[in-house]
Amino acid sequence: MSFINSFISQTIVYTVVYTLTSLGIVVSGRAGIFNVAGEGIMLASASSGFLAAYLTGNALFGFIVGSLMGAVFGLIIAFVHEKFKVNQFILGISLVILGTGLSDLLYKLIIGVRLTAPRSPATPLVKIPLISRIPVFSAFLTQDVIVYFMYIVSIFLWWFYYRTKLGLETRAIGENPKAADVVGVNVTKRRYLSTIIGSALIGIAGAYLPISITGTYTPDISAGRGFMAIGIAIFASWRPERAILGGFLFAAIEVISFRLQVISRTIPYQFLLMLPFILVLVVMIIFNKQIEFPASVGKPYSRE
Amino acid sequence: MKKSVKRTESSIIIRNVFAYFISVLLALGVMSVIILLFGFNVSKVLKTLLTASFRTSFGFQETIKKTIPLIFTTFAFTLPFKIKFFNTGGWGQMLFGATMVAVTGLFLSNSGITLPTYIIIPLLIIVGILAGGFFGLIAGFLTAKYNINPIISTIMLNFVGVQFLNFIATNSYFKDPLEGHPITLPLPKSATLGFFGGIPHSIIFAVVSVLFVYILIKKTRLGYEINAIGYNLDAAKTYGINFPRIIMLTFFIAGALGGLAGTFEVMNIHKKLVEGFALTSGAQYGTFGILTSLIVAGNPIGVPFSAFLMSVLLVGADALQRTMQVPVELVFLSQALIVLFIVIIRQRFERGR
Repeated sequence: MSFINSFISQTIVYTVVYTLTSLGIVVSGRAGIFNVAGEGIMLASASSGFLAAYLTGNALFGFIVGSLMGAVFGLIIAFVHEKFKVNQFILGISLVILGTGLSDLLYKLIIGVRLTAPRSPATPLVKIPLISRIPVFSAFLTQDVIVYFMYIVSIFLWWFYYRTKLGLETRAIGENPKAADVVGVNVTKRRYLSTIIGSALIGIAGAYLPISITGTYTPDISAGRGFMAIGIAIFASWRPERAILGGFLFAAIEVISFRLQVISRTIPYQFLLMLPFILVLVVMIIFNKQIEFPASVGKPYSRE
Repeated sequence: MKKSVKRTESSIIIRNVFAYFISVLLALGVMSVIILLFGFNVSKVLKTLLTASFRTSFGFQETIKKTIPLIFTTFAFTLPFKIKFFNTGGWGQMLFGATMVAVTGLFLSNSGITLPTYIIIPLLIIVGILAGGFFGLIAGFLTAKYNINPIISTIMLNFVGVQFLNFIATNSYFKDPLEGHPITLPLPKSATLGFFGGIPHSIIFAVVSVLFVYILIKKTRLGYEINAIGYNLDAAKTYGINFPRIIMLTFFIAGALGGLAGTFEVMNIHKKLVEGFALTSGAQYGTFGILTSLIVAGNPIGVPFSAFLMSVLLVGADALQRTMQVPVELVFLSQALIVLFIVIIRQRFERGR
């Protein structure tokens, strides 16, 4: 029992990273912007968020700075794309490299080289009195605040896109911006908002890595998860409620591969590290027929 | 929108060169602000950055050593870019090429087979081409058959390539027992390439690759079909161009070119496989190949120049880190900025016409 408990609680921690990042990609994708810069945003937010948490001694402050950093990236994406109609993929790839450079640069300039790595302050835990006694189920809930934040955001986004008029309009932009424009939806404004909010979510996921998971910042801390989250968003057909399931699946695989590295000597650990990346491709091949895209995602829109 | 203004090739080149220098100036401006904020001497930093390649012959040789693999990884991105697909897997294709070349070379020497130079060198080059091409082909196949965006598939394959290289470098059959760090045994001397006074022999292959891509795009049927798809996919399909075949072929050739970058890194520079290679110079060539290609907008003749200018900045970045403790990431950041500025400026030209 305790094994299952610890497996689930560790998986939930990684679920946060995958889910928030793919939700961020879903949010901008629903408005027609394919944000492939997730990896770069995560890295920039990981570094700036960690520095803020470390310097102020408050983890929550780190998450705020991380999400602001994400929002700035979102603003750049929306501005450069909407204003200059630069291809979203070119923009995304350049921003990945920019974010990667920025993350290490900030850390090196502010912290420099130290013998012992600075540690982040702890993230506040939420413990609900009765639920924390239920076996297995408690592992989903006896977690830090950001886990609860992930649950709330997932439910909220599902409600927003499928139960509100505003959400329906936003989805319409992703499907057919011209039609949405004709009925009076401000396409450009919604795209700005969606991309900024989406990137802020990715920023929180990025800050979560050093602040809550490892406790310290190391170069390339996101280790490709920002790219895998793109796979999850696609595999989830851009639906928030499926993104959290996809996030859980990939988190579980990552945790399993950690544990196998410890126990198994027959499988070389490098192959276990490859596993999640190969799995993204396998999942996309298997579910190829079921995957749906918002029709206009990745395409620029101009009114003329 | 459709004005029938014929623009000559040279006016496009002049515009691109102009856009490049404006972007470099803008990026250097941003960089100077950051440098100032952190209290470094701006003029000294910029001087070191831009002149490190030209002050000593060693600096110049280092620049050429970086230019060669960059030319290959740039082409790996450039070809699929012509059909509006993004091969972000130059890194993985390069690593897989490098790994398979080392595996083949060491397998031969470990089993006591000695081949003459004129056989083993072409053999290893072909292995590198096929290995890189194989990685490219997977992405092309997934696009053609399952409509999986190559950005996703090639990036996933990058990480597979990194781990596979690390697996080989740590594997006891290939590992050098005298080395503490995971490094393979050296390749037999007959399987390595030499230098023309500090300039690697592989420069010949880099020059050949420029001619190859130029002829492929401008003079062959495949090149014509690639351009047709890039210009208008639906029209190309209507006129009977076999899209799945072209995309797989394009990705195979692109991957093969990426594989060659790794091949010559192993045969000419390192002469063995080093575990950290994937993350140090490997990552540089893999990712900067994308930037280098975007700078010249896929023009094959522009690639060597763009790769050389990129290498000047990379060598400058190393010198800055060594002499002034300015983090290299500052230069990486400004390279991404250069590309951002250049695509914006170019887009303005396009729309303004």
